[in-house]
Amino acid sequence: MKGLRVLSALMAIVLVAGFAAACAAPPETVEPIDEEPEVVEPVEEEPEVIEPVEEEPEVVEPVEEEPEKRSLRITFSWPTYIDPAVGSDYSSSSALCNLYDTLVFPNPEGGVDPHVAEDWEVSDDGLTWTFHLKEGIRFHNGSELTASDVAFSMNRMLEIGEGYAYVFLGTVESAHALDDYTIEFKLVEPSGIFLTTLARLYILDAEEVMDNMAADGPYGEWGDYGKDWLLTHDAGSGPYKVKEFRLEEYLLMENNPDWFGEFHENAPDEVRFIATTVPATVRTMMSRQELEITDQWQPTESLEALQEMEGVEVAGFTALTEFYYMIHTKKPPTDDIHFRRAMAWAFDYQAAVGLEWPGTQQSRGPVPADTAGHSPDVFVFERDLERAQEELAQSRYADQLDEYPVEVHWITDVPAEEKFALLFQANMADIGIDVEVVGTPWTAVVEEVADIETSPHIVTIYVSADFPEAGSLLKVRYHSDAAPTWSQNEWLLDDELDAMIDDSLATVDVEERYAKYRDLQDYIVDLCPSLFLYDQIEAHGYQSEYVDWPAAKGEVIPLMGLNMYAARIGVTGP
Amino acid sequence: MSSITYIVRRLLHSVFVLLGLSIMIFIIARVMPGNPARMAVGPRAPQEVIDRMSERMHLHEPLHIQYYYWLRDALRGDLGVSLVTRRPVVDDIKDFFPATLELTLFAGVIMGAGGILLGILSAQHKDTWIDNALRVVSYLGVVTPSFVFAIFFLLLFGMVLNWMPTTGRLSPDVVAPPTVTGLITVDSLLAGNLRAFVDALWHLFLPGLALAMGGLAQESRITRSTMSDNLTKDYIASARSLGIPEGVIMRRFLLKPSLIPTVSILGLDFAGTMGNAFLVELIFNWPGSSRYGIETMLRKDLNAIVGVVMVLGVVFIIVNILVDVVVGLLDPRIRLSAKRGE
Amino acid sequence: MTVHAESLDLPKGTTREKLGRGWYKFSRNTMSIVGLCFVLLVTFLAVFAPLVAPYPEHAGKFVDFANASIPPGRTYPLGTDVMGRDILSRIFFGFRFSLMMGVVVLSLVVPPGVTLGLIAGYYQGTWIDTAIMRITDIFLAVPPLILALAICSVLTPNLFNAMLAVSLMWWPWYTRLVYGLASTLRNEFFVSSAEVIGASKFHIIFKEILPNCISPIFTKMSLDMAWVILLGSSLSFVGLGVQPPRPGLGTMVAGGTDYLPELWWISVFPALAIVVVVLGFNLLGDGIRDMFAAEEV
Repeated sequence: MKGLRVLSALMAIVLVAGFAAACAAPPETVEPIDEEPEVVEPVEEEPEVIEPVEEEPEVVEPVEEEPEKRSLRITFSWPTYIDPAVGSDYSSSSALCNLYDTLVFPNPEGGVDPHVAEDWEVSDDGLTWTFHLKEGIRFHNGSELTASDVAFSMNRMLEIGEGYAYVFLGTVESAHALDDYTIEFKLVEPSGIFLTTLARLYILDAEEVMDNMAADGPYGEWGDYGKDWLLTHDAGSGPYKVKEFRLEEYLLMENNPDWFGEFHENAPDEVRFIATTVPATVRTMMSRQELEITDQWQPTESLEALQEMEGVEVAGFTALTEFYYMIHTKKPPTDDIHFRRAMAWAFDYQAAVGLEWPGTQQSRGPVPADTAGHSPDVFVFERDLERAQEELAQSRYADQLDEYPVEVHWITDVPAEEKFALLFQANMADIGIDVEVVGTPWTAVVEEVADIETSPHIVTIYVSADFPEAGSLLKVRYHSDAAPTWSQNEWLLDDELDAMIDDSLATVDVEERYAKYRDLQDYIVDLCPSLFLYDQIEAHGYQSEYVDWPAAKGEVIPLMGLNMYAARIGVTGP
Repeated sequence: MSSITYIVRRLLHSVFVLLGLSIMIFIIARVMPGNPARMAVGPRAPQEVIDRMSERMHLHEPLHIQYYYWLRDALRGDLGVSLVTRRPVVDDIKDFFPATLELTLFAGVIMGAGGILLGILSAQHKDTWIDNALRVVSYLGVVTPSFVFAIFFLLLFGMVLNWMPTTGRLSPDVVAPPTVTGLITVDSLLAGNLRAFVDALWHLFLPGLALAMGGLAQESRITRSTMSDNLTKDYIASARSLGIPEGVIMRRFLLKPSLIPTVSILGLDFAGTMGNAFLVELIFNWPGSSRYGIETMLRKDLNAIVGVVMVLGVVFIIVNILVDVVVGLLDPRIRLSAKRGE
Repeated sequence: MTVHAESLDLPKGTTREKLGRGWYKFSRNTMSIVGLCFVLLVTFLAVFAPLVAPYPEHAGKFVDFANASIPPGRTYPLGTDVMGRDILSRIFFGFRFSLMMGVVVLSLVVPPGVTLGLIAGYYQGTWIDTAIMRITDIFLAVPPLILALAICSVLTPNLFNAMLAVSLMWWPWYTRLVYGLASTLRNEFFVSSAEVIGASKFHIIFKEILPNCISPIFTKMSLDMAWVILLGSSLSFVGLGVQPPRPGLGTMVAGGTDYLPELWWISVFPALAIVVVVLGFNLLGDGIRDMFAAEEV
């Protein structure tokens, strides 16, 4: 920092000289910065030159001091969509679970507990599920939550087709309210994970949505289905309600005192989601106690600095998220399994793990190790240049590496990915593979991987299990149905694999299902369709002195966003 | 030619320019490979949903028909939906533009007031060390990109010295005044909320200064040279010989004629800040239409890109017309010569 | 203004004498000499980067996380970035891309820009003039940075597309400049006399008018070098220019902003490097302008 001081002093001298002159004060000797120069005044406006645009102040009233509110402030990466049928990313999921209630609520064990639904039953064929709702639950506007609201929410989700709709599309055939407190779902086929997926069905107040519907929209008689209004308002019953939403700035939610659930004794009065992940800003806010919990995108250097701050600790917990290098298996030269294996042997996994927060582990196979149904015995690659060369020699591109550069697309929305891309590039140079690294925005990646022709050789993506079971992740990662989506760049298009995945997911017996998952993992590793870099540790800085955060104490709910459930977080400061 | 006909002609010409601009930017946005419909409905939407959106966006039609639909909607005030915010682009710009306007106006005030003051100072102390120092500083000001200034200010005043806020328009603990104009400084004065006013000014300072530095330097150089030219004019010498105090000479006789070139350049520089605001807003996390613009650009949000460029084109043209009018008001010679040309 | 030499009976100095006078004027201005030195230094470092950079391999496919984020010191004069790459070496290579940007853009922009300006100026008042000049209006309707950003962002981000986008924004300035010159020149005596003796339009435009526009064009080019480099660095600051691992100065500044203020050297030195390049070309451009002005007096 010494160099910086000197440099700052130099810069300050130049600038202070400029300002001093600007203020038309007789410039005396300029002191170096170490002696704390006086605060530089903003350039004063001479009234005769240019009139300032501001209008005259009117009667100045004293600002009323509001009573001290306990607030929980968290930074997030923008954008945040609070419409249950639109949002599905981290910040949206975090907001949705605070604003809306669901039939069932996920627990740290990976299962679900009753929430809006008191109990439920399923028919013998596994196709009809009936839920009995608690009575007297009220939406934020005071009207009662009934089964028809649940049906409306499901239909709206299926009709719009965005956000979390994909977990229900193709599974749920229909939703009917049998009476005010009974809802029945009919499924297309039996599903072992349907109950868990209901933790993503956020219940909207049908009436409120209809009242705020724009008549003109893509959904026929439903107009815009309230999409425009729901972007900045909520129609929920959850522990918090929207107070103010300034897009790109913050989402401010306030406590809903009439919530039917149980709050943490020190649950915050206000929750503010701040739309920035800029590390310098985040660190400054933490040090000034203007922020309680940081986002999960802070680089390791930033986390180390946070750890040093007084009263701040870094909590790292598993996110059931794996970082993949998804390799195109139908495009030369990565269509050659030996070529892919050569890359798998040449990559320096330990160096990659070393770039992450301590506690991060190299992935063992295609699902994160904490996922139910993970196979611990699956084969794991390590850096071994000799074996990499052997494999490369067997590939049909061995003699013409120069003609087949490998293009790696990393996602510019997650700046940390660049390091891994450059590491990969340097590692591959060791065995003579020419790698081109291209930073690509997320929206463009989604677009290009939709087509087998435009998919690049490798895309680097973090994928989370939607539900804490190996099968749900394997389906979106390797099933042919998912080939055109962003969660697969491999284009395996392997009928045998598809059949195995479908079969495992439809298996109702848990142990049998898990056994099938383990076979699947061996089968996939054998094809070497991806590099399995590491299981992500979600690391957040937080004010350990005055924030009681279950996730930091190990009570982690394995569902994206749920660890920001403010009703269970205690705030006693600053 | 009267000034009314002049303005009307300028406006007609502007309509033509905007049409041309819209065709250009529309073509650029549409020839890009990729399916805007898929982008519009989000990463996990099934094919039916994409097809429906594609139909709605007229993507199956030839390009000129698509442009016709776009233009028709644009004239109705509909620039399509942004895929980042999922809202109409027009609403986004309405929300974000006041922040940019406030920042650029503030920068404009710094450029104008600061540049002229520094210029006068230089001219008064011509060829002394003050003049020389200011010359060096203004050289640096002209050649340093505003994003570099932004980073230096952020680092120095925001972080190392920790004097000033580095992000957003208000501190989190300050309650925002009710929105009337969207300019927080104005709104807080209207609401009589002095605390918010001071806080908003404080937040404006670093990004505003970073944005203003280039223009500030330019203005001071121009003011200096016109001032020192005019100082040698005969009428000043005769005013002096009449014993009129130096201060009065300065204010009455020297300032106004010396400001004309400064004002016309100021107008150009002010319009230029609209461009530089793209990077400065990004660095200071300023929630304005420029940060919106750059974020939508980085995410290939086509409707928003086209919308932002078009709106800025309109603003840019209006500012240029205004500058011409102001220069005309300041300089009777221009008005007279325009009359004579009639 | 230099007027066609044959038409006037003026002492016609040899080229060498002209250059000599210009150089005298140029060299009397310290600032111009400073600018020239900066430009020569930067050009030298850029051209010989592989030889003079302490760690030339750090500009390519290289990472060394063990030596990441080292502050300036003996081994790494300006420190290393978060990938463990020497910042000094990367700045030298960064100069390459900046200069390349300037040179390529100007050579793409000047010929069409000047030609269109000459044509519009020569056919002043006709529909050709209107068409060409209205098109330039469209390109000048928005600040160049915004349109360049927009174009770059819809194309694949790389150096080539950045150059293309900047070029697309830049040619109208030359058209405007030359249009102004040509539309006055075309009414000069030497043009009308060439017309009278039946010279072809091509001859008049390129042999009679163009030579008289050369020095303003050249002056503008030398000043524009600075602005093009500046615009290029702004593009690369948001990731729309040179792609990693190749070092663009703007990209390097951006790459360090996340680590301010602790790892300040990652951003600050490349930022200063940008200032040095732009300042150098700007001072040099001013000097050249004065030199031509001297010659024309």
